[in-house]
Amino acid sequence: MKGGIRAWEGLVAEGIPEAGMAYFSPATRPQEMIALAWLLEDGTCKFYESIANMMEDQEARGFFHDLKRSEENHKTTLWKMCEEISGRTPSSEFPATVISGKPAGDVMEGGMVVSEALKWSKGKTLKEILELSISLETNSYDLYLKMEQKAEDRNSKQIFKTLSDEEKKHLERLTSLFLKTL
Amino acid sequence: MSILDYFKPVSTWSAERIRKFLDQRGSGEYNLIDVRQPEEYEQGHLPGAQLIPVGELPNRLAELDPTKPTIVY
Repeated sequence: MKGGIRAWEGLVAEGIPEAGMAYFSPATRPQEMIALAWLLEDGTCKFYESIANMMEDQEARGFFHDLKRSEENHKTTLWKMCEEISGRTPSSEFPATVISGKPAGDVMEGGMVVSEALKWSKGKTLKEILELSISLETNSYDLYLKMEQKAEDRNSKQIFKTLSDEEKKHLERLTSLFLKTL
Repeated sequence: MSILDYFKPVSTWSAERIRKFLDQRGSGEYNLIDVRQPEEYEQGHLPGAQLIPVGELPNRLAELDPTKPTIVY
């Protein structure tokens, strides 16, 4: 690439090559990977919902509510994926029926603990919150791309491809709103 | 690797061309390699890039899929 990384004006992810991958290491079956990904989406849902409720600006409030709904759709996609792979409808207790131990606290995409992200967000401007969201979603996008490359079975590859495609769409929406705040 | 591999053309693409290329393809369709040092990678890298510091490249070529285009920065 001419000019190397300095010429790149797009989004960049941060962290070591294995960043975030440890989260998925307890998963030995595709269903477990899906369940862990579902928990991340659930955490992100909670984050966007709380952020939406913190916003005074109606457009920003609506935007974060939309993102929350989008994360809800991801959860449904993952739920359906689990159904397809296992050949039966996951119980209402999903994902607890698939994974034995739940990670401590609600963790969201990008590996951040939801309560910490919300604590940080208090009193911050929309631009600052969008910067945090873009940073978390970029790291999440990076993680899913690398997990897709690393996955050995077709199902797991497909799971992470679906997730990375969705993250890419989110990033486009977030950066578009961010540009409006400049 | 054969002697002919030394004569394969390597082109330099602009960041904009690479952005378009990456946007139009799935991550399984190319090798995206960051050849800088780990500390530089940690501070910021293209999403999905694999870290192979330039000094390690000769020993880690097997990690790249030779059937796919390879982007290096």
